[in-house]
Amino acid sequence: MNSVPVFAFTCPVKTNSGNKALEHLPVELAGLNACRPLIITSAKAVGRKAVRTLQNAFGDSGMTLGLFDGVTKTADLGLIEHLKNICLEKKYDAIIALGGYDIVDAAKVLNLAVSLDTADAHKLSPETPVRRHLSPLVVVPTAAASGLETSKFAHFSRRIYSSEYLAPNLVVIDPRLTRAADGKTIAATGLAALGRAAESHISADANPFRDAYSFAAIRFVKENLPAAVIKPADKKASLAILNAASMSGCAASDANSARLHKLGQVFYEMQHIPQGVIMGMCLPHVLGDYLQEGINDLASLLLPLVGEDEFSRTPAAKRADAALAVLGRFLADLYGALGKDLPRNLREAGVPGYIMEDILDVLDKDNEGPYLRTVVERIAE
Amino acid sequence: MLLPDYYEFCCRVKIVAGHDALEKIPELLTERGAKRPLIITDKGVASAGLIDIVSAAQKDRLFADLIADNVPPDSDLRVVNQLAKLYKENDCDAIIAVGGGSVMDTAKGVNIVVSENAEDLMAFSGVGALKRPLKPLIAVPTTAGTGSEVTQVAVIKDHEKHLKMAFGSYFLLPDISVLDSRMTMTMPPLITAMTGMDALSHAVEAYYCLQKNPLSDAHSLAAVRMIYHYLPIVAENPSDRNARLSMAVGACLAGIAFSNSMVGLVHNLGHATGSVCGVPHGICMAIMLPYGLEYNMHKREEAIAGLLLPMAGEAIYRETPPAQRADKVVSLIRQLNADLNTITGGRHARFFKEVKDREGKPLVPREVLPQIARAALSDGASIYNPEDTDYEDNLMVLEAAWEGIPLDRNKIKRG
Amino acid sequence: MSIVKDIPSAKKPLKRAYVGIFLWFTGRAIQAAAKVDKEVKKEFDNLPDDFTFSLGCLPNGPWMVIGKRNGAVKYLGGNPSQHKVHVRLAIKSVDAAFLILSFQESTALATARNRLITDGEVPYALAVIRILDIVEVYLLPKIIAGLAVKRYPKQWSAGRKLGGRIGIYARTILGI
Repeated sequence: MNSVPVFAFTCPVKTNSGNKALEHLPVELAGLNACRPLIITSAKAVGRKAVRTLQNAFGDSGMTLGLFDGVTKTADLGLIEHLKNICLEKKYDAIIALGGYDIVDAAKVLNLAVSLDTADAHKLSPETPVRRHLSPLVVVPTAAASGLETSKFAHFSRRIYSSEYLAPNLVVIDPRLTRAADGKTIAATGLAALGRAAESHISADANPFRDAYSFAAIRFVKENLPAAVIKPADKKASLAILNAASMSGCAASDANSARLHKLGQVFYEMQHIPQGVIMGMCLPHVLGDYLQEGINDLASLLLPLVGEDEFSRTPAAKRADAALAVLGRFLADLYGALGKDLPRNLREAGVPGYIMEDILDVLDKDNEGPYLRTVVERIAE
Repeated sequence: MLLPDYYEFCCRVKIVAGHDALEKIPELLTERGAKRPLIITDKGVASAGLIDIVSAAQKDRLFADLIADNVPPDSDLRVVNQLAKLYKENDCDAIIAVGGGSVMDTAKGVNIVVSENAEDLMAFSGVGALKRPLKPLIAVPTTAGTGSEVTQVAVIKDHEKHLKMAFGSYFLLPDISVLDSRMTMTMPPLITAMTGMDALSHAVEAYYCLQKNPLSDAHSLAAVRMIYHYLPIVAENPSDRNARLSMAVGACLAGIAFSNSMVGLVHNLGHATGSVCGVPHGICMAIMLPYGLEYNMHKREEAIAGLLLPMAGEAIYRETPPAQRADKVVSLIRQLNADLNTITGGRHARFFKEVKDREGKPLVPREVLPQIARAALSDGASIYNPEDTDYEDNLMVLEAAWEGIPLDRNKIKRG
Repeated sequence: MSIVKDIPSAKKPLKRAYVGIFLWFTGRAIQAAAKVDKEVKKEFDNLPDDFTFSLGCLPNGPWMVIGKRNGAVKYLGGNPSQHKVHVRLAIKSVDAAFLILSFQESTALATARNRLITDGEVPYALAVIRILDIVEVYLLPKIIAGLAVKRYPKQWSAGRKLGGRIGIYARTILGI
């Protein structure tokens, strides 16, 4: 067993998961000294029913909720400035983000603007220093999640804000909201969680605290994603996948290696393809390359992927290969189950050729640009 | 991995760990906008030279007059108020707590007083009375055992009014825990053994108690692996710094696990034995741990069997038939106690009749077992134990643990 | 018009009513059990003379209050603010209370699932939980009580179970 190198880890997020989790929100908010929450969501993305379920959870609490349900993918600092002024005027004292992806990013940046009492939100930037706790932020994820909802990152208007204070205080995962409309949605969420968790778990700077999150995330995806994909209405399986997504964000907050994330992010920003779809395509290539490079501990994936019995039967020298083989079969089964619904390459995903140049341009700016380009080439067809 | 119908998990503490992690403190304070930390510790820690190491790491942030080393072994409201006064008079803006459980409790109490401007600490006792973040608190544990650097509770005693105030809030979690191998390096083998078994009991109980959940489980498994592997190594080679750091990390993981999953019978009877007979906490944990596993086996066999791989490794796991894995876990823990007994020249007690005070007088006479069994009925840990316990159950377990014989599992009452 | 709407939270009259009735019934049953069952009586005897505890829902009730008054255990109604309460068992929401009081979730499990917040001196709180467990065994058929308590007391004699059950039900309904 290796000794432990110097490291730091933090996960500021409390997790509440399961039956009637939403109904605990009034008490949780009271514990954070908040009684007038503003719900930030997109009715179009999460559906009216989800918004109503969240509202109803406050039944009997006597609280009055604010609701903004118009977050779009093009939300900008102008919207944040507008919402910030409303927040200050109406004295909202907490933000609840209902949904995933851009909704949560917008909520994080809004929280920054409100908490720092920024005179003009247009002036906010990733360089804005954050040295103290922000107002309470709660994330209530729905089936379509990137996993980064629980992280310290906010991708907003093509810029990346990063601070441990940006992470939500609480994530509430309720089975009434995690059921997916279709298999593809939950597959994308599960694959994004798997990609993030795996990349964190094997990285050279991994530590036991972070591993606890990535371990549980990998195990949940492996054990539950096939069931969730075949039966998107399965409460238990989708709840487990959203748990995995949430854990993967906690682990990814802290990880340096993020090739899969970068690839998923660029296609999401340019083409709105769910991150997990791209991460699933890239997973075998990127992990295979990690194995070749020999820096990352691919063997550590085997235990969460296959459990104690098979792990113990596999000789140490064969564990990395075994883990990749298991992942390969796992992905093949998913693609088999979903058929055309889950694209296997960029052509099937319908990424037009003229966009590809723009995407490669963005990737080239990354310090790993040349490498990322090779992955994009491999998933083209 | 089981997903409970409902669970909660929270550990907001930032963990910074390494052989020179203390050197990070100035930077961590700056990140939080703090400039003048008050260092809270006790005489034992200070006289072991540990404060000198912490001080040296502070460089220009050190204010020699802001080191308070008068925390008593039992937290005391008067000391809390006195340290809070010191904090305010010197315009401090953060607290660094260096020590074990009572130092952490005291520092948490001081933090409530200075952050909330509290005249009366009692107003903030109970669960959930704190509603907002307190001043930055950095915890530097000096034993690898209690896990109090990551727990959200504190107990402060008012010795004048004979009151025990308990506080519970996520805002009591330290902001940062700094795990540095130098802080535990000088612990003698006997203390190392008992604090290490305390940590192991946290990790193991967290894995079978009622509030267990996937995240507490993942922390438990990692903790069990590290503690079981490194405890005999540090007991034998106290200056092995890698093993020391691994123990500190393992104990912290175990602390996170149990503060979310809670503890059961081992702590229930252990607390009672401690309060009735004055046996050190770690010894009680070491002795009780195999019995907690045996008593709950019929409800938690699968979970207990799951501890075999992290403890014993692949070869032994493979060779042990599935039906015997849980039993194997129990026997390995008994064996660990026996090994620690050998390493410490017989001073690490394996059962209650072996526990002696400095004069060699037995600390737990057999006649007091009924009193311990009764006292245990008033201890909160029983709530989270998988199987119910009453007076007779407690007495049966205590008698076996006194004698050092395995529990007769046929005698355990089932519903 | 603002892009942010304000929505007052709704009411849950049916769940509140169910929980309220159940709390009222349990309260009277505890009062009855203190007279009928030796173990419950002993637990109360060990508690201080003015001992009072409440059980109910956050944030706005309903609640029930039980107290020892002049040596007798009494159901004291549904308003804890009128009493000095030694132990408070608070369920985090009416919905969580509904889960517990409709036996979808046992008290032990609800505690384990962080739905039940216990405030007060630990030894007193433990006594209250033991009392609630015994009362549940009396009130519920074995198949449901077996879920509601950690260990169903097989060793109770048939006489204790039957006699106690009849006694407690009769007194609960009559309020004596």
